[in-house]
Amino acid sequence: PQSLLQAYAKFSGAPLTVNTINNSWRAPKGDVPVLISEDVVISQPAKILNFLRKQKYNADYELSAKQGADTLAYIALLEEKLLPALLHTFWVEAENYCSVTKPWFASRIAFPLSLYLPGKMSREALNRILLTRGGPPLYSLTEVEAQIYRDAKECLNLLSKRLGMSRFFFGDTPTTLDAFVFGFLAPIYKVCFPRLRLQEHLKQLSNLCQFCDDILTCYFRLTVSGCSPAGQDTADANLQKLTQLVNKESNLIEKMDNNLRKSPQHPPRKLTTLKLAAGGEESSPLNRLSP
Amino acid sequence: AAEPWPENAALYQQLKEEQILLSDNASSLAVQAFLQMCNLPIQVVCRANAEYMSPSGKVPFIHVGNQVVSELGPIVQFVKAKGHSLSDGLDEVQKAEMKAYMELVNNMLLTAELYLQWCDDVTVEEITHPRYGSPYPWPLNRILSYQKQWEVRRKMKAIGWAGKTLEQVLEDVDQCCQALSQRLGTQPYFFNKQPTELDALVFGHLFTILTTQLITDELSEKVKNYSNLTAFCRRIEQQYFEGFDKGSSAPVAARSAKRSLLR
Repeated sequence: PQSLLQAYAKFSGAPLTVNTINNSWRAPKGDVPVLISEDVVISQPAKILNFLRKQKYNADYELSAKQGADTLAYIALLEEKLLPALLHTFWVEAENYCSVTKPWFASRIAFPLSLYLPGKMSREALNRILLTRGGPPLYSLTEVEAQIYRDAKECLNLLSKRLGMSRFFFGDTPTTLDAFVFGFLAPIYKVCFPRLRLQEHLKQLSNLCQFCDDILTCYFRLTVSGCSPAGQDTADANLQKLTQLVNKESNLIEKMDNNLRKSPQHPPRKLTTLKLAAGGEESSPLNRLSP
Repeated sequence: AAEPWPENAALYQQLKEEQILLSDNASSLAVQAFLQMCNLPIQVVCRANAEYMSPSGKVPFIHVGNQVVSELGPIVQFVKAKGHSLSDGLDEVQKAEMKAYMELVNNMLLTAELYLQWCDDVTVEEITHPRYGSPYPWPLNRILSYQKQWEVRRKMKAIGWAGKTLEQVLEDVDQCCQALSQRLGTQPYFFNKQPTELDALVFGHLFTILTTQLITDELSEKVKNYSNLTAFCRRIEQQYFEGFDKGSSAPVAARSAKRSLLR
């Protein structure tokens, strides 16, 4: 959700400052990301998008009614078909969870919450997958996993067909749908997991990879390899410092991952530099690359 | 899968008058509409334990030859394997759109129906509990409906709908109907001249919402706001369900026009 919102904010030109919180408890109801604007607190991505739209930061202004309807439909498709696999990759797949998600997440939030919260999110993710997809005739977790990855691959194929050769889903300017798709695809595309099923499939769909890269270069001012140029960001100087700090951390994280993989008994290292807002199920090191 | 469609294919659902609930009725009607559109004959059989007979626990399911298939998605694929398909004429982008809209209906309309039936206390007390367990003696009827309610509420919680109020759910329904209405526009079907499984699904849900009596009329009012959707439902009803004795789920006034066999 975090990268989705940042992408949308970029597309619609809303001035959005990323506030870093290192303690999920402080966010109202424990939900991140949270938008706070003049005393109004909004916590879910869809509601935040609505709020931004009402404040006239609307990336969908140019869309026809039918395109608006298509947007809703494709978002439903993403949530239904792609989200379970994404949740699984991040939070349930044992290798991924232990070597990437949990240490990264735990390093971002204060002790003792770091002991409890990743586990809780992992359980919730598994719960959601099993409750929504796990009914008969699929009886074991492996069967459910196989099904959700099949669905996710089909979803990626459908998105690729819909995108075709265009730059964005509705022509030349990005809209809410592009923000949503980017929010879902970017973590799969960029995060280095030990188990890569979905990423391999995604890399075969070159137009979707191009789509992600496009957005990253144009809107997040990052080159494809992930380094931020010293450049002329129109956003705050704060955001720029954030990007640089975040890059240093991503290198540290990678080293940490390597260490963890070699010797699993190492405790996760605490990173004392910048702590960024912990995102939802799709939070990933990528989010730190995008200011 | 290479066998032709038998004459005695049957669709199983719960008891129409006393037991079936809004969401199951919608799903069942969607499958019936789909099969009608494919011109495949099907008999509707009502059984109190249809849910338990189904391979996936969901109704409706069809019994064709010696195979049992449940839910619209798998049924569409099964029918396709037998050589009948409504969406073959669509190109890739249209197929992607169709799938996306079907997910939208499932995601919003079906979940809203489930919410209304099982999470809205008034509806639960007055309609759902009495209907769901009606074929069974006390205390089994109460136990079964509480069990189902617990299951549905757990699922709602997992997907984040448990915290929604009824107004928010109705707003979501409105948004969904608006999207469907905008997509349909002035065309007869969603993909212009020919109906597809999307039309069947939308018809199933909207028709059921329009014709089922609940505590309040708020849900059906949301759909009635969009005149092209109500016209759409009427059109499909006339074209595919006329001359059907008790096949459609709502009372259809006897009309003299015969069911059109031409599409």
